[in-house]
Amino acid sequence: MADVNRVNFLIGGPAGAGVASVGLLFAKCLQRSGLEVFGANDYPSLIKGGHNIYAVSASPQPIFSLLGKPDILIALDKKTVEVRASELSAGGALIYDSSKVSTAKEIAKRQDITYVGAPLSQMAAAAGGEIMFNTVALGAAMGILGLDFAIIENMMAKMWARKGQKVVDSNIAAARAGYDFSKSIVNGSFKAKVEFVKREKTLFINGNEASVAGAIAAGCKFVAEYPMSPSTAILHLMAGHELDFGIIVKQTEDEIAAANMIAGAAFAGARSMTATSGGGFSLMSEAIGMMGIMETPCVIFNSQRAGPSTGLPTYTEQADLLFSLHTSQGEFPRVVIAPGDATECYVEAFNAFNIAELLQVPVIVLLDKYLSESSQTVEDFRKLPLKVERGKLMSDEKMEAAAAFKRYEYTANGISNRCLPGQKNGMHVCSSYEHDETGFTSEEGPERVKQIDKRATKLSVIPEVFIAPTFYGASLALADITIVCWGSTKGPALEALKLLEQRGVAARLMHIRYASPFPAATVLKNLKASKNTVILEGNSEAQMRALILQKTGYYIEKAYLRYDARPFTPEEIAAHISQLVGRK
Amino acid sequence: MVTVSDLNSGHAPTWCPGCGDFGILIALKGALAKLGIPQHDTVVVSGVGCGSKLPHFIKTYGFEGLHGRSIPPAQGIHLANNKLTVVAVGGDGDGYGIGMGHFLHAMRRNMDFTYIVQNNEIYGLTTGQTSPTTKQGTKTRSTPNGAIEREINPILMSLSAGATFVARGFSGDIPHLADMISQGIAHRGIAHIDVFQPCTTWRKDLPYDLYQKKIYKLDAEGHDPSNLEAAMKRAQETERWPIGVFYKTEKPIYTDEIPFINDSPLAKHDISSTDISKYIEEFM
Repeated sequence: MADVNRVNFLIGGPAGAGVASVGLLFAKCLQRSGLEVFGANDYPSLIKGGHNIYAVSASPQPIFSLLGKPDILIALDKKTVEVRASELSAGGALIYDSSKVSTAKEIAKRQDITYVGAPLSQMAAAAGGEIMFNTVALGAAMGILGLDFAIIENMMAKMWARKGQKVVDSNIAAARAGYDFSKSIVNGSFKAKVEFVKREKTLFINGNEASVAGAIAAGCKFVAEYPMSPSTAILHLMAGHELDFGIIVKQTEDEIAAANMIAGAAFAGARSMTATSGGGFSLMSEAIGMMGIMETPCVIFNSQRAGPSTGLPTYTEQADLLFSLHTSQGEFPRVVIAPGDATECYVEAFNAFNIAELLQVPVIVLLDKYLSESSQTVEDFRKLPLKVERGKLMSDEKMEAAAAFKRYEYTANGISNRCLPGQKNGMHVCSSYEHDETGFTSEEGPERVKQIDKRATKLSVIPEVFIAPTFYGASLALADITIVCWGSTKGPALEALKLLEQRGVAARLMHIRYASPFPAATVLKNLKASKNTVILEGNSEAQMRALILQKTGYYIEKAYLRYDARPFTPEEIAAHISQLVGRK
Repeated sequence: MVTVSDLNSGHAPTWCPGCGDFGILIALKGALAKLGIPQHDTVVVSGVGCGSKLPHFIKTYGFEGLHGRSIPPAQGIHLANNKLTVVAVGGDGDGYGIGMGHFLHAMRRNMDFTYIVQNNEIYGLTTGQTSPTTKQGTKTRSTPNGAIEREINPILMSLSAGATFVARGFSGDIPHLADMISQGIAHRGIAHIDVFQPCTTWRKDLPYDLYQKKIYKLDAEGHDPSNLEAAMKRAQETERWPIGVFYKTEKPIYTDEIPFINDSPLAKHDISSTDISKYIEEFM
């Protein structure tokens, strides 16, 4: 019996061969068939050559990361056969170009897989162009799974619509050729198949794309950014929709300009953001402190990659947590949010803009390469009930009647009324120097203390319930162990919970999103009541453990740290946790 | 009507007696009053340095940012609300040293704001080090044996980077400087105004009377400000120091290419509810 709607897929090839786009098309065809899908890539920092992969897992149930071994492997070059054929599951299928890798069987040395060797290039040439050899391979993968070809046809039409009907038609013909070829070889006997499930349309979206959705929905009007992997797609997506939503998107001369520019735009009243990675974020440090003392609402996305310095530009890490909490000299309040999946990216991006204006602080949203570039099926964001809130922003009418406006007036919760240039009676200097209530420079000791306290008070305005971690898996009473993680480790950890359950381990997951303000009370209460605790982090110093210790006094003794610049996998987490609790 | 006294902030400037910044402040107030721009529609942006304290001494909106970074926030403010009058000010260290990258890119971008550089050929607030405009050989506290590097030529740089209004004034000639500034503000596009400004504390070798002796006015000698080549030639004079408008041309400004702020500036757009369908449907 074939496994219905449960399949893992992998495509590999050199940069420039369309690995990611074919992988994405495969994933979207399964999404449109009504499956739950997860897709992730792995590629080195180069434009041509090398070895790129895109992997997809699909399931009838919600999935949160890649699962297990690939059942279908498309090898767009010989190297992929060499390094990836051994990963195929038993009974899997290897799709390759028989005219280019004639020795695939000898290289793979596998008796337990099906070889789908097709003259991809010639078939593509017959369909209209050799360049579509990857589309032929995609068609072949679909043929193996017995997917309704109409879904592929619709997908192609959507994908290539902008390039004209001729391109659409030839791509469909190329896919068709691959589809028919593999179907004739496999003939319905493959270990997995896809059957259409009727359901409400989902989104297949990655962290960068979801963050952009959240920013647009929140009314972001100004983006200044300097390209840097893995945040660059945010610049591209925003720029591509500049006219649709009336957003000014400015590529700047450097990240220093980007951060200072958004501070200016925010001061003038536009919801503003930038996005970068560690190197650029370092350059923004000084400006982030300026936003702090000026109380200017800005949102900064930092998609972490493996550092320090240039590090591993296209690989993932969670090592900027403490840096984000301490970026820039001096002390000032900032909000640091680390969403864990695409939906949280949307929600927290939206929240970030609200919080920035409510508290008049810089808000840092910590993504990472794995989160930024991994896609998953999620419910349509438009159903989420989020509302724009602008805090103590003064209206023109109120300012018209205002007298002796004090921009940094002392208030019970530290938050002062904010007016915008162009509004009457509000003239003040927004200054990077320490200042008094009016904004005028002050170096007096008592004034200084009052301003520090005023700013620090603002963070307490956010209620604990809003920033509390989320819990999954076994209840506190029944759990053998509480696993603590943050950011993108959520996905593999959620999948690990399922595997642990199969092994008889009752595990509870605590996922922390807010690093500042920190939900100390909830975290401490849950850790203290746990039988056993372990922390999972994508860094070598257990930075969240240090933060938890600092904020709660609780030290999580066991840490499972991964810092080979790759994401956690559910299998490895499950094996590690099983061992910790003394189960096999 | 806005008068010069309306523009008094009530705070006394903290500059040294005789500092050229006083002349620049008076000239800027005069220019804003002459143009009749409402105070609440003006934003004076600065970096950090002696001259960058200026926003505190003029009653408009002000943004006193980071050292070397007056231009990026000025651009952000302008893009967020292109109905405002934005004037960035800063010293030669601020604008031509640490902020040089922003300066050159601002010139090529041709956004509609004015950039005044208080150029006294010295770092003042940090107590007297060489600046990018300090002439080669000059002894300062950081170059006690004479500056080894050649000085930069900021006028030539902005001309070559594509600035559409390039002028120079002298803080000791306030009516002329006020005219330069008001022309710069009225100009549609980027206006770069370099201002000769004596530092009476750290550059006693560059006193007012030396400037007065060396300076001549471009318009008095028939310079044609529409002639870029002639402007570049004048900018390279060393024996005599020209002030006035070097170059002026009309070119499309950055925001001309942004259709959705024609009617209403960005900051005034209604953001209470945004339908993201046009974006989100790509992912279905």
